[in-house]
Amino acid sequence: MTALEVRDLVKDYPIRSGLRRSTLRAVDHVSFTLTPGRTVALVGESGSGKSTVAKMIARLERPTGGEIVALKDDGTPVSDREYRDHVQMVFQDPFASLNPFHTIEHHLARPLRLHGRAKGADDTRRQVEQLLERVNLTPADTMAPRRPHELSGGQRQRVAIARALAPGAQVVVADEPVSMLDVSIRLGVLNLLARLQREDDLAVLYITHDLATARHFSDDILVMYRGHVVERGPADDVILHPRHSYTKLLAAAAPNPDERGRSLAESPGAISQEDLTRTYDHYAGEWRPFGKAAPIAKALADPAGTRRG
Amino acid sequence: MRYYARKLGFYLVALWAALTLNFLIPRMMPGNPVDTLLIKLQQRGGSVGPDVRRSYELLLGADTGDPLFQQYAEYLGNMFRGELGVSVSAFPAPVTEVISQSLSWTIVLVGIATLLSFLVGVVLGTVVGWKRGSWLDSLVPATTVLSAVPYFWLALIFALVFSSSLGWFPRSGGYDVALATGWNYEFINSAVYHGFLPALTIVVSSVGGWLLGMRNMMVSTMSEDYILTAQAKGLRNRRIMTRYAARNAVLPSVAGFAISLGFVVSGSIVTEQVFSYPGIGSKLLQAVENSDYALMQGIFLVITIAVLGANLIVDLLYGLIDPRTRVEN
Amino acid sequence: MTNLSPLTGSADEGAPLAGPDPDPSPGRRPRASGMRALVPTWSPKLATGLVLVLGIGLFGLFGPMLVGDPNAIDSMGMTSPSGDFWLGTTQTGQDVFAQLAHATRGSLQIGLLVGVLATLLSAVFGIIGGYVGGAIDEGFSLFSNVMLVIPGLPLVIVIAGFVPVQDRGWWTIGLVLAITSWAASARVLRAQTLSLRNRDYVAAARVAGEKRWRVVSVEILPNLLPLLASQFVFAIIAGILAEAGLSFLGLGASGSQTLGTMLYFAQNGFALQNEAWWWFVPPGAVIALFGCGLALINFSIDEIINPKLRVPKPPKGDAAEAIEVAVAPVPIEGAAAEAPAAPGVVRVEKRRDAVLTVKDLNVVYRTAQPVHAVKDVSITLGRGEILGLAGESGSGKTTLAYAINRLHRPPAEVASGSVTFHDRDGGDLDLLTLGDEELRRFRWAKLSMVFQGAMNSLNPVITINEQLDDVLTTHRPDMPRAERRARCEEVLHLVGVDPARLGSFPHELSGGMRQRVMIAMAMLLDPQVMIMDEPTTALDVVVQRGILREIIRLRDELGFAVVFITHDLPMLLELSDRIAVMRAGEIVEYAEADQIYDNPTHPYTRQLLESFPSLTGERGAFIRTGERTPR
Repeated sequence: MTALEVRDLVKDYPIRSGLRRSTLRAVDHVSFTLTPGRTVALVGESGSGKSTVAKMIARLERPTGGEIVALKDDGTPVSDREYRDHVQMVFQDPFASLNPFHTIEHHLARPLRLHGRAKGADDTRRQVEQLLERVNLTPADTMAPRRPHELSGGQRQRVAIARALAPGAQVVVADEPVSMLDVSIRLGVLNLLARLQREDDLAVLYITHDLATARHFSDDILVMYRGHVVERGPADDVILHPRHSYTKLLAAAAPNPDERGRSLAESPGAISQEDLTRTYDHYAGEWRPFGKAAPIAKALADPAGTRRG
Repeated sequence: MRYYARKLGFYLVALWAALTLNFLIPRMMPGNPVDTLLIKLQQRGGSVGPDVRRSYELLLGADTGDPLFQQYAEYLGNMFRGELGVSVSAFPAPVTEVISQSLSWTIVLVGIATLLSFLVGVVLGTVVGWKRGSWLDSLVPATTVLSAVPYFWLALIFALVFSSSLGWFPRSGGYDVALATGWNYEFINSAVYHGFLPALTIVVSSVGGWLLGMRNMMVSTMSEDYILTAQAKGLRNRRIMTRYAARNAVLPSVAGFAISLGFVVSGSIVTEQVFSYPGIGSKLLQAVENSDYALMQGIFLVITIAVLGANLIVDLLYGLIDPRTRVEN
Repeated sequence: MTNLSPLTGSADEGAPLAGPDPDPSPGRRPRASGMRALVPTWSPKLATGLVLVLGIGLFGLFGPMLVGDPNAIDSMGMTSPSGDFWLGTTQTGQDVFAQLAHATRGSLQIGLLVGVLATLLSAVFGIIGGYVGGAIDEGFSLFSNVMLVIPGLPLVIVIAGFVPVQDRGWWTIGLVLAITSWAASARVLRAQTLSLRNRDYVAAARVAGEKRWRVVSVEILPNLLPLLASQFVFAIIAGILAEAGLSFLGLGASGSQTLGTMLYFAQNGFALQNEAWWWFVPPGAVIALFGCGLALINFSIDEIINPKLRVPKPPKGDAAEAIEVAVAPVPIEGAAAEAPAAPGVVRVEKRRDAVLTVKDLNVVYRTAQPVHAVKDVSITLGRGEILGLAGESGSGKTTLAYAINRLHRPPAEVASGSVTFHDRDGGDLDLLTLGDEELRRFRWAKLSMVFQGAMNSLNPVITINEQLDDVLTTHRPDMPRAERRARCEEVLHLVGVDPARLGSFPHELSGGMRQRVMIAMAMLLDPQVMIMDEPTTALDVVVQRGILREIIRLRDELGFAVVFITHDLPMLLELSDRIAVMRAGEIVEYAEADQIYDNPTHPYTRQLLESFPSLTGERGAFIRTGERTPR
């Protein structure tokens, strides 16, 4: 029961410096699978390559190496033509992901039409309203003709989620779907995504820098650092019992009012020498070498800047 | 370094494009300019040897049977050696001599006028932008009228008011013809006196563009966080205005200098015509009137090279004032 | 001759245009978008522009039908304006007014032709190049830049010189002028297309499976319309001016009658020598007024493209009345509004002596509908205390912080209340009544600030050293150069940045490093209070932790008090001594951090706390139970 399989994904970006050309490896041999009804969280800081993975799955970027295969319920691969029916994406910034020029209806009607799910104006209108009702934007008939600027951030993100559902996608990539929203409405949007996932048996890839929501919102967590997956496992195992020193560092750095007693002045730590070349897998309960991927550069081992020169 | 190398490379490409354009235009146009030119030359008593004919053919193109590529190569060779042919209208002077006589007049006039209008425009724009919302803002629409006025018409009005009616400045010419040319006080004084109205025309009609551009950038810059920080730092307003706001706001004006310079040069050609100024613009028009194709093309090339050179200097300067261009990506 | 620089129309190429603001502060109305956004707002400038353009347009359209033969020669010769000839006659006795009508039509025609052709060319090269990218973009862009630096008029003159007079038609001239004038606008369009291409909604359209041409024409093009309109307007002005210049030189289209040819004949008819102003003033005036009209219309279009250019207008009506309305007591929901009176708070105030007291502060945005951004806020900051100010966007927390130091800008205005600074050396300062010069001296010396975007808080074009040194030269004019340098190095060292970085420019530092530099700058004058507005929001958690560590450590060493503003309540719970929770301009709860966490009294505080799921604790009510607060 695999909905999407990612194998040895690699992405290089060319960088020019003077006349020399070199490459920056943003994603280094990343593999995972998404299954219907389950959520995988890809956790990391900026520059970890998590968003690049999302863009490659959404086919906004071309992978340098490796493959991404979407599978139908019967196990056969999805063809290139059907790929966008199958895999959709929710973007981070709802203020940027809706075209200010067009109505909400346009944003939902286009994918319905493009993927042949609606025929004729009446059917389209009916389905647009259904979608709006599913994401709790009611009354749907008054929401549809509005423009993005008339909606709040949370409402916009609901439209963006409805848009991802419109083609009947089985796989949804949610790239930091709540980080731009006000804190008090974040959980509402995440819970909406959870409900829709249950109803449609969606496979969800949740990309975030927030360990707490990753823990509660997903079944499995992959921790990424500088293009590498450094730790993977069931959500609670990774967050409550981190093994890789980078994951420990992340967990120590995250604000946690439950541990108000701890001294803020103490160092959150750094990445240990041996962890620069290995990853921990909670399913197998063992360390694994990076293998084909390159080691993490030593210079990157101290992101907190605790060792002063 | 990368920035400078790229800029230099770009201007070389632009120079090549201008040379090529100069080569292609006469070949694409109807008529046979070489014959026209040679007939005129003969009328003036010039000797038309085969080598003279050949150099005109290279410049202007004719059915000589040579492949285009070979003509092009020889043409480029001639250009690099500075062989632009003989001027018909100023026979027997070579084109280079005619140009060198008039070029300095234009460079000084346009150079000083452009610099002045840039400085005045930027300073005024800084103040108007800084005091946004005050009465100074009403100056802005007024400058658009100035920007929309044709150069030559303004020149005519100035000539009417300041020389014909008031008699403050001479109506035409670049210096008092009674004086001998030379670097003496009397001559320079006369040149400045004659150049005042043409320069005023250029300054008045181009200052509005600088002012408006600077004002708009000042307004945008003033909502930046570093201005707020500067205010929180308790710096004096004058310092915030110059070192923080204007210093950043001026960058697009400098970067856009290329566009503006093209317009100013165009404007000065017409202005020279109105004031019969002995610059290169008047020479260009004389060349057109007399079908002096060699001179026409020579002047076009020289103007282009001058403009490219000025732009290159400004671009190099930009590299100095914006540290971000020095980033090695 | 076209002395209008297209730059003025696009003064802000680099800046994001009309990008939505993720954190709209109170008082800023949502930006208009969609079709309505493309219609300029009505203003006197726009009205004047439209009147000029329409008036001259109608004159050109219908004038020629109403006047006599412009070419009819009369033996009367040159006469000044009279009842029969409104604008006098030329030297051959032709009616100047009749000529003006025909010439206006001619000029408008050629201007429109050049405008359309040049805009088309620039759209093709700018928009297509910008969207497709890669080698095509490089090529197109190089081509436009080369066309841009080759001076236009000399080129046109040379071309016109080679074309025999009889072949110089209307279309030829129009085409040549268009070819030499499209490049600047192509560059502007390309820059904007590049920025639009990277917007998420374009990516979303691609993910939805839209075809390329549809992405360009349906998603990108409508958002380029204001810019295209502005470029088109410029191209028309440029076209009219260029043609006028060409005709004035006698190189215009053969047999055409334009304002330029009128001036040509006036010049050659010795109008100037005869002081026949009625002959050459009107044609130039028509060009100038028409150009001015178009430029005024462009002002309004520019304000759509770049909303920063709008001059905020004070609302109409009686200002005093507005204050009354604004400050009228607002019913406070929830009993916890009286939280300041809670016992814990009283204890704190006894324990520390205060350094800053804010009492009943009200801040109002004086827009058309006044927004009461800060309502009756009272806080006391103890010496060396870290006070957390928590709230979501629009809660007024930033407005409050700025008002304390009087950094708020119009239309924000302090309506009532007081802010008192209690100096270490004794003596109180009433910050709201301080004179401008005294306020300037006070700022940074006693109270410094660290802003959210360190990226944008540092001046990008001068070095770190100059920006630190600025503070010292202004506030400590007597300090010798070497001492200033030493102090700058000292504060950098304090925040853990290598003093060798003094010579760096902001873009050469990482985000975390820049924020450290900002904190170092805030410490330069050994202030008693630091206001930090979301200083770590844009940073990664690990870097954030490093900076918080620095702040705590320095506070312990140097003893300054901190007002720390953020939406991140869990962080405040760890960091601060006391926390004030703000919503809609009011402080709804104000207590010690422990009490806020263990025993929140206001429902909003509880809601905010619940919004942050615990990292290591129980899952709580949050997870996957469907939606708790449907909106």
